[in-house]
Amino acid sequence: MTQIVSFVLNGAPVQVPADPHQRLIDLLRGPLHQTGTKEGCGQGECGACTVIIDGRPVNACLYPAPEADGTTITTIEGLGGDNTELSTIQRAFVECGGIQCGYCTPGMILSTKALLDRRPDPTEAEIRQGLAGNLCRCTGYVQIIESVKWAAERLRDKS
Amino acid sequence: MTPEAYYKPRTLEEAFALKADHPEAFFIAGGTDLMVLMRAGICRPSALISLRHIEPLHQLTVGATTHIGAMTRVAELLEHPEIEERYPLLTAAARRLGSPQVRSVATVGGNLANASPCADTAVALLALGARIRLASPDGEREIPLDQFFVGPKTTCLFSQELVTEIILDEDARGTHGVFIKKGRVKMDIAQASLALWARVKDGQCEQIRLAAGSVGPVPLRLPEVERVLLNHPLDDDRISQASTAAEQTVQPITDIRATADYRRQLIGVFVRRALRQICTESR
Repeated sequence: MTQIVSFVLNGAPVQVPADPHQRLIDLLRGPLHQTGTKEGCGQGECGACTVIIDGRPVNACLYPAPEADGTTITTIEGLGGDNTELSTIQRAFVECGGIQCGYCTPGMILSTKALLDRRPDPTEAEIRQGLAGNLCRCTGYVQIIESVKWAAERLRDKS
Repeated sequence: MTPEAYYKPRTLEEAFALKADHPEAFFIAGGTDLMVLMRAGICRPSALISLRHIEPLHQLTVGATTHIGAMTRVAELLEHPEIEERYPLLTAAARRLGSPQVRSVATVGGNLANASPCADTAVALLALGARIRLASPDGEREIPLDQFFVGPKTTCLFSQELVTEIILDEDARGTHGVFIKKGRVKMDIAQASLALWARVKDGQCEQIRLAAGSVGPVPLRLPEVERVLLNHPLDDDRISQASTAAEQTVQPITDIRATADYRRQLIGVFVRRALRQICTESR
């Protein structure tokens, strides 16, 4: 029994059919063609598919697609700045070498955004906790933590 | 078989009616376990009945008696200032449940009803002496949480029954609570975990409850250890006895995460550490 789900994706309203067994990531990467969100383990362990739903970080591989109805969702595609520039968090990962193969990066960046939206001035321990659900197999964790600190500093300067 | 429908009832009555119509359907709470099990083909519900849109299941009231709606998300529990103030033991356990992404959607009721022996909130709630309220089309009942778990992934819930809320009768301010968990990495499932709650007066435990995770078929209360400690001075000798009793009481297995021997050893160490901590706190 397919149902139509409506939600706000990266600021724009979308409507898409969802099957009962589908997950949010199936909608994003399938009919919505938003392939920035990656599927890694498909079991909620690696965090590659992290998106922000109503202000909280969520694994899109564990989220039932029918429950997307009525929510507000941000994916990596929604993070860019003006004129196709990178957002501050994205730039931080580039500047600090927080990206190697890039597969974990959209999830890392969304977890970073969810963290910094709530805690603009996190301690290193809070950063590590905030990213505890995101795995990087190139093991660039030191640079990733540096990226978050870099982004936090600049976002604070901005505001 | 994949689920042929996804229902979003707004009331318990509606949810029960759907379950009556679809006996092979599953109730789904946060879904952080069920979604994985369905994808792996381990669970094959004919339909899904979501509990997310049933408002009363989301209510959280803190007072002389605290009621935690079963659909309270773990992140919401953590953000509730009064829960942290009154039940820091519960907050400590909830903070160690999964990753931020999982805590955003996983629910307290789901963590219990899933009946995993390693459930972090279950261990803390057992030590806090929680009761749970269950509802079915035939009515409601309340049971102590330590009667809820029957075996791995098995509870005493009837097929049409649901956990609706978790009840804490005592305000835990002025008492001691310790939660210790060892996982391979921070967000991992516990290799072993321990929760201890105690009311200490003049160096003795007037009331004490211990519970352990990942060391038996269900989240375990440790009454043998409680008996060793109740109304005795908390000296080094007593702490050693309690630690030994804990090692003897638990029934761990060897699996992918740890060996039985290692788990047994962990629990002994945890009991010792937890008791030393409350000794220091109550001095």
